[in-house]
Amino acid sequence: MAKYILKRVLMAVITLFIVICLTFFLMNAVPGNPWLSEKTPSPATIAALNEKYGLDQPVIVQLGKYLENLAHLDFGNSIKMQKDRPVMDIITNMFPISAGIGAIAIAWAILVGVPLGCLAAYKRGTWIDSLLRVICTLGISMPGFVIATMLLHILTGGVEGLKLFPTMFDGTPKSYVLPCLALGFYPMCYLSRQTRTAMLDAINQEYIKTARAKGLKNGKIIFKHALRNALIPVITYLGPQIAFTLCGGFVVETVFTIPGLGRYFISSIQSRDYPLIMGTTIFLAAFIIVMNLIVDLLYKLVDPRINLTKGGN
Amino acid sequence: MADKKRKRAMGSLRPDVDDILDWNSLPQDAFAPASSAEKENFIQDRESVSYWKDAWRRLRRNKVAMVAMVIILLIALFAFVGPLLVPYSYDQVIPGANNLHPWHYSLEDLAAMDPELAVEEARAAAEAEGRELSRVEEATIRAQAKAAGTEDIKPKLFGYTNDELHRMENGEFVFPHVFGCDNQGRDIMVRTMIGARVSMIVGICCAIIVLVIGALYGSISGYCGGRVDTIMQRIVEIIYTIPEVLIILLLGSTLKPIFEEFQNSGDGFLQQMVTLLGANLISIFITFGLLYWVTMSRLIRGQILQLKQQEYVTAARALGASGGRIIKRHLLPNCIGQIVTTTFLQIPSAIFTESFLSFLGMGVSAPMTSLGSMCSDGLKGLTTYPYRLFIPAAILSLMILCLNLFGDGLRDALDPRLKK
Repeated sequence: MAKYILKRVLMAVITLFIVICLTFFLMNAVPGNPWLSEKTPSPATIAALNEKYGLDQPVIVQLGKYLENLAHLDFGNSIKMQKDRPVMDIITNMFPISAGIGAIAIAWAILVGVPLGCLAAYKRGTWIDSLLRVICTLGISMPGFVIATMLLHILTGGVEGLKLFPTMFDGTPKSYVLPCLALGFYPMCYLSRQTRTAMLDAINQEYIKTARAKGLKNGKIIFKHALRNALIPVITYLGPQIAFTLCGGFVVETVFTIPGLGRYFISSIQSRDYPLIMGTTIFLAAFIIVMNLIVDLLYKLVDPRINLTKGGN
Repeated sequence: MADKKRKRAMGSLRPDVDDILDWNSLPQDAFAPASSAEKENFIQDRESVSYWKDAWRRLRRNKVAMVAMVIILLIALFAFVGPLLVPYSYDQVIPGANNLHPWHYSLEDLAAMDPELAVEEARAAAEAEGRELSRVEEATIRAQAKAAGTEDIKPKLFGYTNDELHRMENGEFVFPHVFGCDNQGRDIMVRTMIGARVSMIVGICCAIIVLVIGALYGSISGYCGGRVDTIMQRIVEIIYTIPEVLIILLLGSTLKPIFEEFQNSGDGFLQQMVTLLGANLISIFITFGLLYWVTMSRLIRGQILQLKQQEYVTAARALGASGGRIIKRHLLPNCIGQIVTTTFLQIPSAIFTESFLSFLGMGVSAPMTSLGSMCSDGLKGLTTYPYRLFIPAAILSLMILCLNLFGDGLRDALDPRLKK
């Protein structure tokens, strides 16, 4: 087990390193230099500035410096959006809002999606199953912004008499409803589809027959025997879904004008604030990679059948 | 009793004498060669069913997949043939068509609706009474006339500008703005067509990129095995954990200036290609090429690992076939079903990603349009012009839905073993 964890952690670190290098080299490849932004300084000044900030050194040395700064959680300063404000400060300020919405969205996606998947599997072949399948197929085929804008239009006054929620995000519980609903819809449909498949697999197993033969109640069979085993493969889909939700947050935050990190990231891209782009990318990438790692390890912990020593996957 | 006795028991070795005696009472012409007409009846030769024919037969029985296919074809027609039929182009600004609704009022209705008419009447009435209307009174009458006018006059389908209505009055044929026009006076239907076309092209190109890289990488990794396989799979695992959307956004933001510089550096073929496709589209292709092939390569590797144990591979190797030939002629054709379905299912996922990027303003560049960027344009006037967002959104969703459904059907048809 320890060996496996070590291997996965090492892989995560390598991935993060690659992402950091990629962002760094892309940042260096962008034409122009940071001193050109307002008025063009003389070549002598540029040289002096380059020397001061270490830009005259080889790229490898610069990369080393950059990594060293990253180790201190120093992502540099914003150059355009909020001049000279440390990127780390912006991230710590804005990430909690995004993370909150993402967490609520994932939570409701799991709490609704998994039982719906169970229901569909249990009522296989009936109209409930067909209805759920139609909804879920639709749900995974509609891009996040379609769902978000539809909700925004219908439930904030676009349709007569249906002004249930505020249009602008103001931090009140009511204004959280629509973004979370929109953000969690795709993972909900996805999870419910996967749960249905996994449940169907589980229901046809021999041990379910045994449980039935013992005379157990239906509810107990479904929730205690089938669901527990069906949930194991579902966990694997959770990792990618967390990443997806975080990135879907970009869209939802843009649509509902939420002052979260996602929207800020997008506007930093549009205004080409490179330190901010790099800092946010690395931060979010690290977050996603760590989440994936946790989900992966959890998966191996939950299922004792998986062989850890001989390359279980 | 006698009849019963003649029916011999199964497996009995005793010859059926009566039957054999019957053989002798053959007609005279029994041994004449069969005529060609008789031959045709005799040989029950069924046409051999090829793999694709078999799959097509299974697919045809799947109603959902067939409906999805028809809708895909209709959307493709809409996207590729439509722009040829409509006399407007996607970046053509039609004068006076700013914010045109997808409905119009006929000229008579417009005249009847004109609030000035009611004001004129009231003014005349007031003059007859010998007094003048105040501005406030005029405004009230105008507002009342406006409200009353829209109630009983029904708008007609399709949008026309006033200028176009007058031209139609003169007997000229004017192509309607079926979906109205956007805030700059550009026909929304043509833009939707072009957007759908961009989405489809992006989907297909990305699927091809993924197919080529994934198939090559996966088959080499699977066929070689051993240390080569281990190293190649480590690389795959690392790429698998890279959050791709972030990298796409990052590449989109940094490659754009790089490509713009390259574009302005000269006038060669490559530069023209960049101008044609737009920097953002190229960065989408690059990202797909860099990141999205891993699923495909894993799948193909798994298949190849199974297939290379088969005897025919050993036979081919014994005959001296090279590794490349075995992969090309023996292994890949045998997992064609999986390859086709996975490639096909890449199309909706690529369209999904492209629309996501376009919505965030990272997709195709400005004069060009795509369904995602039309939606993001429509977001600005959502309350007044909801159709501006919902028409492209509906087409986009329908397209992805049908591609997904057809892809599922294709998987069931090509790979019946997977069907549950």
